[in-house]
Amino acid sequence: MGLSRREFLKRTAALTAASYVGINLPFKNENTSQASDADSWHKGTCRLCGSGCRLELGVKNGKAVALRGIPDSRTNYGYLCMKGMLFYKLMGYNNPDRLKKPLYRKSKKEPFKEISWNEALNIAAKEFAKAVKKHGNNSVAYYGSGQALTEETYIFQKVFRGGLRTNNVEGNPRLCMASAVGGYLTSFGADEPIGSYTNFERASCFFIIGSNMAEAHPVLFRRVMRRKLDNRETVKVINADPRVSPTSRIADLHLQFRPGTDLALLNAMAYVIVKEKLYDETFLKNYATFRMGKKKEVSFEKYKEFLKDYTPEKVSDICGGNITPEKIRTAALWFAKSEGTMSIWTMGINQRKRGVWANNLIHNLHILTGQLCRPGADSFSLTGQPNACGGVREGGGLCHILPGHRLVKKDKLRHQVEKLWGIPQGRIPPKPGYHTIAMFEAVNQGKIKAIWINCTSPAQSLPNCDKYRKGMSREDVFMVVTDIFPTKTTELANLILPTAFHFEKTGVYGCTERRSQLTVKAVDAPGEAKPEVWIVREWALKLAKELKDPVIKKCVEPFLGKEPDYELPKAIWDEYTQKLTKGRDNDLRGATYDVLKKLPDGVQWPAPTKEWALKGGTDIKFVRGLDPLADKHAKDQKPYQFYGPAHPDKKLWVWLRPQRGPEEMPDFEYPFYLSTGRVIDQWHTSSMTGRIPELMRANPYAYVEINPKDAKKLGIKPGDMVEVASRRGKNILPAKVYVGPCEGMVFVYWYDQEESRMINRVTKDAFDPGSKEPEFKICACKIRKVSGPKPLKPFLVEMKT
Amino acid sequence: MPIGGFIVNVHPDHLENSIRDLKKISGLEVYGSDEKGNVVVVLEADSSKAMEEMVEKIMKIENVLSVGLTYFNVEDEIEIQEEQGKKTIH
Ligand code: SF4
Repeated sequence: MGLSRREFLKRTAALTAASYVGINLPFKNENTSQASDADSWHKGTCRLCGSGCRLELGVKNGKAVALRGIPDSRTNYGYLCMKGMLFYKLMGYNNPDRLKKPLYRKSKKEPFKEISWNEALNIAAKEFAKAVKKHGNNSVAYYGSGQALTEETYIFQKVFRGGLRTNNVEGNPRLCMASAVGGYLTSFGADEPIGSYTNFERASCFFIIGSNMAEAHPVLFRRVMRRKLDNRETVKVINADPRVSPTSRIADLHLQFRPGTDLALLNAMAYVIVKEKLYDETFLKNYATFRMGKKKEVSFEKYKEFLKDYTPEKVSDICGGNITPEKIRTAALWFAKSEGTMSIWTMGINQRKRGVWANNLIHNLHILTGQLCRPGADSFSLTGQPNACGGVREGGGLCHILPGHRLVKKDKLRHQVEKLWGIPQGRIPPKPGYHTIAMFEAVNQGKIKAIWINCTSPAQSLPNCDKYRKGMSREDVFMVVTDIFPTKTTELANLILPTAFHFEKTGVYGCTERRSQLTVKAVDAPGEAKPEVWIVREWALKLAKELKDPVIKKCVEPFLGKEPDYELPKAIWDEYTQKLTKGRDNDLRGATYDVLKKLPDGVQWPAPTKEWALKGGTDIKFVRGLDPLADKHAKDQKPYQFYGPAHPDKKLWVWLRPQRGPEEMPDFEYPFYLSTGRVIDQWHTSSMTGRIPELMRANPYAYVEINPKDAKKLGIKPGDMVEVASRRGKNILPAKVYVGPCEGMVFVYWYDQEESRMINRVTKDAFDPGSKEPEFKICACKIRKVSGPKPLKPFLVEMKT
Repeated sequence: MPIGGFIVNVHPDHLENSIRDLKKISGLEVYGSDEKGNVVVVLEADSSKAMEEMVEKIMKIENVLSVGLTYFNVEDEIEIQEEQGKKTIH
């Protein structure tokens, strides 16, 4: 009684926090005469990374005023990181930089001017129609994002494929997790992880390789950390990385290898497992085969033979760093013998010239030791973006895949999609479109005449970006960009369309663990910003007229007349889930909006029925009794059924993959390895986090991290300005001297938009021949001190009209 | 004046020392803790910028392993911004 409002809010804050860890506080907030802390609370997912943390947005007088985690959400159990806490600052009324009106310029040399939506959509329709008429269907393209809602990716790709008859549908997940997709398909026969986050609390050994999850996925890292600290004697953490990062802090064993020697290290662990007979013979007999090629099965003996090149002694020489034969043996032993081993990785493994192979070699360790399908045992790749899995991987957002994990090149699957859409057979071309690097190469060559870029900034995020910015600047390439803020890419656009931000529209995000979660609109978008689903529908109608093609209209017909904030995305989600995922391994028919709204978090597929979805869906795939599809597709009595679509023998494949270095090795002229990555408070190209002053202030500009030994040799002191140059371009950045990167390696954050600190001007655009994912993580560079410390200013692209 | 509710995880072996260090930060109140090293902390600051600074200070304390936010209220800051916004945003 008699509490002040501030006291009331402080008590609310304390009670909320205490409830997460089961601490009882000596007071309650009931019976106080205070008004509540918000008028209404709205459930949704955090916007700023792939973890999928659930939170509630408190709205008062139509404005977001408070945030709280959702304690019974199985992704984050209520916890949020600083980025998550501050993202309400990007909502319309909070941020003066938000794009609020359609902007257009005929020539890229002119300034933009404001135009109406009707004019904007007319221009977009005319330009795309012109390109198709003059240069054919493959002269147009869509480049999307792992941050777009599933409904958005789905409707964009439907209009491009069914309407514009092109598979030039790509997205930035090609840059971050395509190698993980390749790895899952080739090793397990099915995309996406077998298990879930629940394994964080059940694993007794963590093998974290090529991931700085403490900074990139802080709330998930918290779970790993808690598990370790609560079981200090029994739980082991192995961290394998050329760089010592905040993730290494909880490691029992840090394996610091020279960049690009990861494949050898993983094979050496396999060698120890085989040599010491630590493998699970029954598991192998029941569920695995050994492969040299898709059609080339080999014997276990042959695999043993292959591993002879990877003895710990040989490999410790290859790996350098701090690697010793003893460390490799210990890691292999802990991995194989624990009750449940969970491997975790991200870009360090995926962004490699042989990223798919690196993924395969992690999976190999799990197959050999049977560390799969049981509690705590999993081979688990983390995604960086909130909807790379749900929207792009599952929703058909890459050039070779259609919704529901269907391959474009399979006639039967393509015709299924045409039939479900009610469009003529043969409408979707049988050939996959351009993958990301090929797409921007085609832009460079003037083969693509009109491109739509949605919710991403390739002008900054592509490797060797200067090369591709040239193409995007061409006067004969018409470029539409849909986004919420100006970016390096809007600078090269003809038409900029302002979109609604998260919580200003409705839709689903699917996070790393096969979980789909709904965010319903809670506040209004600023100015004239619109949800993408509305934009695409209206544009398609105009396009149908321009091209006199009723099939284009047919693609959006089921969505006509629906109001855009809820009914429209719901209709799109319904079509996608009820029709396109039916009978597929990502069956989401049970996960309707109504079901998703009932759950604190969401639903993990497969979830073919509402009853199953209401229980949360499938925690572990392929296990009879736990996965409804494992029962449905069972071909024998064995407890595990690997029914994935890519392996005809329904087995797991152990791959013989040799060590391969990066495309570009350090040499006399460029003696250092350059690697890139993230820092906790900034995300991607900083177009969002850069506009949150608290986050920007913590990391106002990018640094180059240099090992103290190298710094000493080169006379570089902390704060000195250092030139980082490769064969492609150069940056000048302040130096951070510390024992992060190993000797001979430098590390640069990639968020900074300032030209001289934009590291993708220096990185290399070599890519994995299988997954087509670029090798961001390694190239060769040289460094030199340019001057002493200089005052620097943070920089963000501004809109000039 | 934003208000934030946090769970600060400190190394369980150094719980008492860590709480003592935490309490040195002005605007920080410790509401409770347990033997696992979970500490219930409420931060009160003049702006969310100031709160971020406090979080940074917390992270620098030895034996602090992670800072987890669970609740955040900024209602009056939003009002102030709106007032300013009316003047500067057009
Ligand atoms: S960990 Fe990722 S999803 Fe969770 S609050 Fe932080 S940014 Fe958001």
